Amino acid sequence: MPEYTVAATGSILVVVLLELLLLRTRLFTKASYWITLAIVWFFQILVDGWLTKLDAPIVTYTREQFSGIRFPWDIPIEDFAFGFSIATLTLLLWEKAAIGRRPTASPRSAPERVE
Amino acid sequence: MDRYQYLLLMAACVAITLPLELVLGARVYRRPRRLVIVLLIVVAIFLVWDAIAIARDHWQYSERFTTGWLLPFGIPIEELAFFLVIPLCTLLTYEAVNALLRKGHERA
Repeated sequence: MPEYTVAATGSILVVVLLELLLLRTRLFTKASYWITLAIVWFFQILVDGWLTKLDAPIVTYTREQFSGIRFPWDIPIEDFAFGFSIATLTLLLWEKAAIGRRPTASPRSAPERVE
Repeated sequence: MDRYQYLLLMAACVAITLPLELVLGARVYRRPRRLVIVLLIVVAIFLVWDAIAIARDHWQYSERFTTGWLLPFGIPIEELAFFLVIPLCTLLTYEAVNALLRKGHERA
């Protein structure tokens, strides 16, 4: 398999395992996370689409190093795995940084369980 | 102007998401300590990925649309900007969504 394909899909696994085994922020159970991911995906298509457009690319990809599948427009599909990982890792760390610094649980939700 | 294209794209992302903090009450810039900690970790991890990807020739950068200012390992400063700006925009989106959901709950 091409190297970027391996790295990009592997990064999803690493980020998900990081949450499940180590950070345990429960980010994946939050509606706001999934809504954010959908919004980020939409804007990624605009920004990444501009960066990778084949008629005037800012970033060019070596054909042998990725799947060769470009969608939508000219975006290498691996970029969406990359995007998932950078967005999710950022939010996981943001949530983790908050846990333990809250003096009391918010009135609306159950107490945070810090394992 | 061409050589600033990548940097200007990143600046546009910062500008477009600023109202999330100022109007929608995202409170990301207003938690600078937490923001800096998160960004330092994310930037470090993705700069390593980028350095490897550049060395392994996964991708290259247009000389026309970048400044040519390079960090060690041949990383364009535009990439550093990307790894700061994209996480920042993600956090602003997330906290804006959280703020809106909270407002929705309060109204209900």
